[in-house]
Amino acid sequence: MIELPLAILWFGAVIFALLDGTNLKVAWASVAVLIAALVSIVILGVSVYQDGTQSVTAGGWAPGIGITLRVDMLGLVFAVLSISVLIMALAFEVMQDVRARVFPALVMFMAIGLTGLCFTGDAFNFYVFFEIAMISAYIMTGYGETPRQFRAAFTFTVVNLLGSVFFLIGISALYHNTGWLDMNLIAQQMPQVARNPAILSATFIFVAFSIKLGLFPFHFWLPAVYTGTRGPVAAMLSGALANIGTYGILRFGGEIFPRELEKSSMVLMVLASTSIVYGGLQALSRRSANEVLAYSSIGQVGYILAAIAVGGKVGFSAAIVFAVLNSLNKTLLFLSAGQRGVIVGTGFAIGAFSVAGVPPVGGFIGKLAVFRAAAEEQSIFLFSLFLVGSALSFVYMFQLYRRRQWMDESEEEHRVGTFAVIGVIAVTIVAIGIWPEPLLVLSERAADVLPGAAR
Amino acid sequence: MTLILSLAVAILFGSGCYLMLKHDLIRLLVGMVLIGNAANLFIMSAGLQTGNAPIYPLRGTVADPLVQSMTLTAIVISFSVSALVLALIYRLYSSHTATTLEVFAQAEEAQAEIDDQSEELVEGAG
Repeated sequence: MIELPLAILWFGAVIFALLDGTNLKVAWASVAVLIAALVSIVILGVSVYQDGTQSVTAGGWAPGIGITLRVDMLGLVFAVLSISVLIMALAFEVMQDVRARVFPALVMFMAIGLTGLCFTGDAFNFYVFFEIAMISAYIMTGYGETPRQFRAAFTFTVVNLLGSVFFLIGISALYHNTGWLDMNLIAQQMPQVARNPAILSATFIFVAFSIKLGLFPFHFWLPAVYTGTRGPVAAMLSGALANIGTYGILRFGGEIFPRELEKSSMVLMVLASTSIVYGGLQALSRRSANEVLAYSSIGQVGYILAAIAVGGKVGFSAAIVFAVLNSLNKTLLFLSAGQRGVIVGTGFAIGAFSVAGVPPVGGFIGKLAVFRAAAEEQSIFLFSLFLVGSALSFVYMFQLYRRRQWMDESEEEHRVGTFAVIGVIAVTIVAIGIWPEPLLVLSERAADVLPGAAR
Repeated sequence: MTLILSLAVAILFGSGCYLMLKHDLIRLLVGMVLIGNAANLFIMSAGLQTGNAPIYPLRGTVADPLVQSMTLTAIVISFSVSALVLALIYRLYSSHTATTLEVFAQAEEAQAEIDDQSEELVEGAG
């Protein structure tokens, strides 16, 4: 059962790499394959929700020797989220005409990478899936093939390759110190590892994931890339690919380095607060929609890191709720930023309010969760930081919305299909805001998986 | 042995970083390859035991085969990514007729100016 989604995506990607993706039928078939993979993940998810974590070891090796695939609630939440975002963005692009024949195959390779790293229980296998997702993202950034997009792709590739090298170094340091690559066994060995090597490998891995997330000192590549790429690609990068960062910090921080995470919570808090304030202020001073959204992403990941720094079950589940809503918001906003019309305008407004955290839209639930985490910590500093951040995001999102409404109405032609995609995401965000219990329950179950949540 | 290996990793990583700060894209790529190789050497030195080659029939103590397979995977990945970056550099060269970062920075600034102007036009129209 665990192999099924990966098998669907893998064979799909290889077959679609040979077909011509600019053909409308082929492109729709690729969307159908992604949906099939999503359905199989959800079916797998139901059984995991009822019976607990499932795992399988490849090649009939003994557990701990062979590569393990392990599916738990945390991985499932992020896999479902990433694949849904990819489906939406791909469907949107198909309705606008695909311009490169490999585009659907690239999306599918990215889907394999993202699903695989959520489902793997092996640290080195995590790196391999991570690279599969990243390499398809490098190529995808250049999609559109204007000089500007190639410049964006080059920056993105160089910076993220460095991140991958850091991750690789962190993984091999972990192997040297614990003697295992299986994440469960590494986590069991970690308490015996001396303090300095443990902190060093934790730092390497944290830096690698922060680069993916675009956290404050590692954010420099992000605005150039998000403004340079096309809307659907930017939506995939910020809605699906950035999940690698959140998931990775949660997985490695909560499972393998709970001790180091708790010790460094002060440092993480400083990075998170700088990110929130810096992202907010920069977004306020920018004019074009994509630039505002890019800097807004830097600010929003600050909340995720702050919630992780608070730690415990409340902090981790708040980080998951916020990450889910943030992905949906950014997908909706990046997709609707280049479009005109009443439905798109409404969708954009819902996304903008969601980022600002206005009830009853979904983003409010995310903000509420991080405020609850701050209350748990009883920290006035965190509370005021979140307040300032929310005020900033409200101001810049409102500014952006006002500027959009004033724009020329007939700039781009209307396509009914793209409205449907934007409508679906917008309705999902509003639905989460009105009925948040399923997401909250899922996020708590997901946080329970991590040993670090049990303090 | 550990000292020699760590020195080698340090020198590779250092020269890679130095080249990455250069303004020429090809040097930048060579820097990236060097840093990738520093990481590969680091994985090799992270092996748990040293000894003979781990090929059947085994003779005495054998070297840790796991790090070797990890390095092999990492080499394949970094090789393919280098090819990808070279292709990107070629596309950049064919559209900008240069491979220096200054040219791209200028193009980026020009693009930002165009963006600003179009935004101002829109605001004016409103």
